[in-house]
Amino acid sequence: MQISEQSLRHLVNATNEEHRAGMSALPEQIAELHHGVGRSLQGHSRRQFMQRLGLSGLAVTIGSQLIPMRSLMPTAFAADGDAGLAAFAESVELAAVEAYKAAAGGGLVTTKAVLDAATVFLGHHTEHAAAFGAAAGSAATKKPNPKLLAAVAGQLGAAKDEAAVLKIAYDLEGAAAATYLFALGALTSKAALQLTASILPVEAQHAVVLGQVLGLSVTDYVPTFETVTTAVNPTDFPV
Amino acid sequence: MYDEIRRQANDTQAMHDEAMPQLRDAMSQLFEEEGREADEKRAAVGSVSPGMLFKVGGITLAGAALLAACGSDGKDSASTTPGTTPGTTPGTTGGSASGDILILRTASSIEELAIAAYQIAIDSGLVTTAAIGDAAKLFQSQHREHSALFQSETKRAGGEPFTAANPAVLAALQPTIDALKDEMGIVKLAFDLETAAAQTYQSNVGVVIDAKLNAALMSIGGVEARHAAILAGVLGNKATDSAFQGIGQAVKAGTGV
Repeated sequence: MQISEQSLRHLVNATNEEHRAGMSALPEQIAELHHGVGRSLQGHSRRQFMQRLGLSGLAVTIGSQLIPMRSLMPTAFAADGDAGLAAFAESVELAAVEAYKAAAGGGLVTTKAVLDAATVFLGHHTEHAAAFGAAAGSAATKKPNPKLLAAVAGQLGAAKDEAAVLKIAYDLEGAAAATYLFALGALTSKAALQLTASILPVEAQHAVVLGQVLGLSVTDYVPTFETVTTAVNPTDFPV
Repeated sequence: MYDEIRRQANDTQAMHDEAMPQLRDAMSQLFEEEGREADEKRAAVGSVSPGMLFKVGGITLAGAALLAACGSDGKDSASTTPGTTPGTTPGTTGGSASGDILILRTASSIEELAIAAYQIAIDSGLVTTAAIGDAAKLFQSQHREHSALFQSETKRAGGEPFTAANPAVLAALQPTIDALKDEMGIVKLAFDLETAAAQTYQSNVGVVIDAKLNAALMSIGGVEARHAAILAGVLGNKATDSAFQGIGQAVKAGTGV
């Protein structure tokens, strides 16, 4: 479904204002996560963490392989518990930030409203990375996920037009939402769970905007249920 | 724009009808593992009081009105935890904590309310843009699947599914519904309901005793946020509320159920 530039501008206009309003209480929450509950994320209940990774035999499709979700979490991340997963999420967000920067600066995106949307979304991902980084504490790397960044950079390098760039962003947003749904089945602390749950819908909404611009089928960007099908996993994309 | 929405909605409705029973079953199975830490956490979390203020679409009601509406589906005994199957002791069966049951019953009541609201929209004669009507039908069908999943989870937790539109929220919205005069008013109402649903499910993440419900809630909450984004676009508003979805429009667990 194609939408007009004006419509797209409406979709993203005022977002920054709301974004700022929504952020007013967040530093306090992140501080609590980091200095209060967040401390317990370090090595948080490895047993519970691994139990939840069981997820009743939940499996995800990656390429042509169907992989049990429990096999997706490397031992190192399991040992770090919620903090390790938060660090992974931070790396995914920072990869998204770099991807949007590259997309906006690559010269293929010429529609002003699309550039404006990319700027807004980039800002959101920056905030997400900061929040996940705070949750991760000393496990945070403050670096984009190297393999994910390389994969996206390769795709951007091969993109020939604005639509191709937008499709990459669309896929990345969908992957982020799926990744956080996956994380909700693995995290154990209330603070980390609630942070992740506050971010997943925003990635989903980014995907809606991009899906509309791309003219995709509505069932592509409005599924009946969010799934983990396109989740980025720490085994294939280690921090 | 709307022609394309209508085409896509028509194309996908048949696919949706065919695929959803299987997907719903799969989702239900996905979340069927019992919460192993239920007993450990139950005492710390406790039940959620229904006698709180709540807000939907800018309407705020006092606790007394909500308390009056509780149990109005006529299925619950006043002497038991609302929605708990008689003979089931809350807190002793994995995933059957009374708090979880309240959350799940409230969730299905909101889904039923959304279904009813979209039906009102469809039947009102006020929706003149076919694409909006078709989108309403698609979203309504997705809410049916969401309600079915929440009801299934309620049963699994040992509770009695809440199958009616949330009476307290409906009562709060009734003046708005009665005053609807045009298509945009209906779209705004739908946007408010979708936003409330998305935020309600988010607000219960980390609160539920059965840890598997966290993903279940957001597997639906994310979709409601997508609905809200589309409706926001129709209204000419922002698609993304903020970098972090808030819970200021969430309906308290136990409200009206």
